[in-house]
Amino acid sequence: MQGDPLRAGVVVALWLLLGLFVLYPLACLLIRAFSDDGGFTLGPIVGALGNPTHLRALRNSLVLASLVGILGTAAGFLFAYAAERTDMSRNARRLIDFIILLPLISPPFTTSIGFVFSFGPRGLITHDLLGMQNAQVYGWASTTCAEALTYFPLAFLALRPLIAAIGGDLEEAGFSLGGSRWQVFRTITLPLTMPGLGNAFLLIFAASLADFATPLILAGNNLPVLPTDAYLQITGMFDLKGGAVLSLLLLVPAGLVFFAQRYLVERRSYVTITGKSGGRARGAGATAWLRWVLWAACAAVTLFILYLYALLAYASAVVAFGANATLTLDNYRVIFTEGVPAIKDTLIIALIGMPLGGLYGVIVGYLIARSRGFGRHMIEIVSMINYALPGTIVGIAYLIAFNDQPFALTGTATIIIACYIFRYSPTGIRTTVALLQQVDRSIEEASFSLGASSLRTFRSVTLPLILPAFFAGLGTVFIRAMTAISATIFLVSINWTLITVRILENMTEVALGPAAAFSVFVIVVVLGVTSLLNVALRRMTTLRVSSLGTAS
Amino acid sequence: MSNAPVSIALRRVSAAFRSPEGATVAAVRDVDLAVRPGELLTLLGPSGCGKTTTLRMIAGFQEPSSGEILIGEHDVTRLPANRRDIGFVFQSYALFPHLSVFDNVAYGLRVRRKSAHETRTAVAAVLALVGLGDLERRSPSELSGGQQQRVALARAIVIRPRVLLFDEPLSNLDAKLRVEMRTEIQRLQRRLGITTVYVTHDQEEAMAISDRIAVMNDGRIAQLGSAEELYRRPASSFVAGFLGRANLLPATVRASSGGTVTLDVCGAAIKVASAISHSLGERLSVMIRPERILIGPPGGPLDGEIVSRVYLGEKAEYVVQVGGALLQVIRADPPEGETLAPGARVGITLPRDGVQLLP
Ligand SMILES: Nc1ncnc2c1ncn2[C@@H]1O[C@H](COP(=O)(O)OP(=O)(O)O)[C@@H](O)[C@H]1O
Ligand SMILES: [Mg+2]
Repeated sequence: MQGDPLRAGVVVALWLLLGLFVLYPLACLLIRAFSDDGGFTLGPIVGALGNPTHLRALRNSLVLASLVGILGTAAGFLFAYAAERTDMSRNARRLIDFIILLPLISPPFTTSIGFVFSFGPRGLITHDLLGMQNAQVYGWASTTCAEALTYFPLAFLALRPLIAAIGGDLEEAGFSLGGSRWQVFRTITLPLTMPGLGNAFLLIFAASLADFATPLILAGNNLPVLPTDAYLQITGMFDLKGGAVLSLLLLVPAGLVFFAQRYLVERRSYVTITGKSGGRARGAGATAWLRWVLWAACAAVTLFILYLYALLAYASAVVAFGANATLTLDNYRVIFTEGVPAIKDTLIIALIGMPLGGLYGVIVGYLIARSRGFGRHMIEIVSMINYALPGTIVGIAYLIAFNDQPFALTGTATIIIACYIFRYSPTGIRTTVALLQQVDRSIEEASFSLGASSLRTFRSVTLPLILPAFFAGLGTVFIRAMTAISATIFLVSINWTLITVRILENMTEVALGPAAAFSVFVIVVVLGVTSLLNVALRRMTTLRVSSLGTAS
Repeated sequence: MSNAPVSIALRRVSAAFRSPEGATVAAVRDVDLAVRPGELLTLLGPSGCGKTTTLRMIAGFQEPSSGEILIGEHDVTRLPANRRDIGFVFQSYALFPHLSVFDNVAYGLRVRRKSAHETRTAVAAVLALVGLGDLERRSPSELSGGQQQRVALARAIVIRPRVLLFDEPLSNLDAKLRVEMRTEIQRLQRRLGITTVYVTHDQEEAMAISDRIAVMNDGRIAQLGSAEELYRRPASSFVAGFLGRANLLPATVRASSGGTVTLDVCGAAIKVASAISHSLGERLSVMIRPERILIGPPGGPLDGEIVSRVYLGEKAEYVVQVGGALLQVIRADPPEGETLAPGARVGITLPRDGVQLLP
């Protein structure tokens, strides 16, 4: 209900939080980058743009993101088209779903580590198979491929519903009017998929632009990119201001991409609406030879990804990868002794952040979906900022903002948890908004009319109906808390550290075994917890209706 | 939750919406309405005339932009819906999809902290009352439209509200079920004696169910009265046309004396009663119901020509051209062998007590 005191209180509390953890850090970052003793200045930015090294990093970042965007979109389209338009067996489809899921739940540099194991100086292919000495894995090719493999699931998830919607009725209408297969593809399928392809490209472009872990491991010295540059500026040269300025160079392309992507998504909606009623025609649209080509390509990518993960598991279970292939549990012993603080810290942070982030997501989603006017749009925009910004910017902004009074939070778990909540809850927010748009407002009004307060209505009517969104929020925050690094690498301390940071340290110290063991551990935990969440959600949604006359 | 029925009063109530372009749209304008204790009053009007908005203001889902609303003696204008003690039946039913039939109906009782025992008994009784005794374990999605409607009704009345509000509750049902349910709603309302405001755009439904009907047009109440009053004495051409069918015809004053005027309607001279006196030659408007017009052999008071004829079993409907006007005529139980094909010439009689002067 409008004008409800409880709701007003929640909105005020929300704005205080958004102010503290979104707007304030961003303001601190901007002030630091654009001021010196004499007040406002563009000097540092101009200086950074005049510095050939930084300029090169900017150019590298953009070129890399474009290449990854093209490659990742192509792979995503390939998988989505094969999944929707060929008569794949159920098991093949499951395998595709699994392959898509893997990179989404792994630490962001898992693929990179796999590349090192495969193509590095002692790599399985380069060293053992081809007998090369000192093979160079570092550089453009490996970074591009690793990022494309890491991010192509984004394109798959964006394109798949689109391709499903365009299939069926729309294409059949084209065929019925006498169009040939190629004509229909050219005049119907492609134009309708174009905005989706653009959207997928931009999603991957943004992810690659912000990616910090892959270049740190694979780029090597000849391929500086902005996020790593900014990181090294701060950790290597203790130049916070320089790091802030460099991270801001990322802001312009990231912002442009964000708005272009939103524009495309809004324009695309006509397809999803008409597609809802369109029957699905799986198997239509691909001739026999095309089907085999698609399958072969998917199979190749799938096998390669499985190979990389298998390599990771293998490396975690041998004494020294590439040198001593004796099976051992030593690496796991290491992570469960020396690694315990990192594991404990990460789990504590993830387990605290998960429920808070899930709740934050549904509350903000509820406010966005169920209120009108200006305030609603402001909440919608501000709550997306930390998600849309590259992690490096968010991390440096938090570092600057919370280093000093009045909010000296550096070194605490709070700061890391807050970073995860405000950065990774938009999934929960968006799912909540989407679900609530399907729940007629009168269902909540029915509860009011029966005498329930707005709190009671939220608890016993709204919340159960948006439970799937709540769980989606829980899952995303947990996965990210276990795997993310780009923002939080700036926030770890002696007291609170993270598994992902330890993996990175292990990689730089060439302690490959423990790095692999940590990665396997993270993947197993994430798989376990997300499955548990799924089971819990299913039980909660089926049990409720049959519970007669019990809990009110 | 006292048992004596309460009145509802709306005093100069208005509602305005902000359109997306920023303009204000007046949905309800200065409505004055007094609902008597225990009566079933219907808001009837075309889509968009402000019925739902009026009802939602009574419920407390929406605040009026001006005016006040009283339930019983209490000014509830600023009281939120959950403290008004109402039962609301929604067009979409708005059943809680995650709760069983039992839990849906028990919801309001649990909010009121009734004991488990009391809740059980009350829910069982009300489900028996609406004829759903054996379905309490079902989920709403496992019910037919009519059954969902009954659950919505049961959920609203189990809390014994002081006011019952219905927003087009039958519009999602098929025609036959609609008739059945409206009888049921009327029966329950009479039995419980709860003051009720009922919204519909269906005039037959309104006439069948209501003690009184308020016809709404463009955010205002055009006329308030019993079905018969509204049908026989519509106060405007809008009400005449909305409730039943009507021939609206121009008329010219021929003579005016002592409470009656003689009018020229389509060339026939007709005397009607009128409280005010009219000047000669004044142009007025009259209403004649189609079933009051008599069709006879050619050579009647007025000459007419059949334009169309539709045979509907218990009645036949004609369009007859008389002078420059097209008249709708309804003949109950047309005699066998009557074949008035288009083009046939007929005599038309306008009964003087069936002609109604409109302001
Ligand atoms: N939430 C709203 N926002 C803007 N305009 C509205 C809203 N609800 C109703 N209106 C407008 O108010 C007028 C009356 O609507 P309503 O009360 O729903 O009519 P009815 O129930 O008689 O069909 C309509 O013109 C409608 O467009
Ligand atoms: Mg309505």
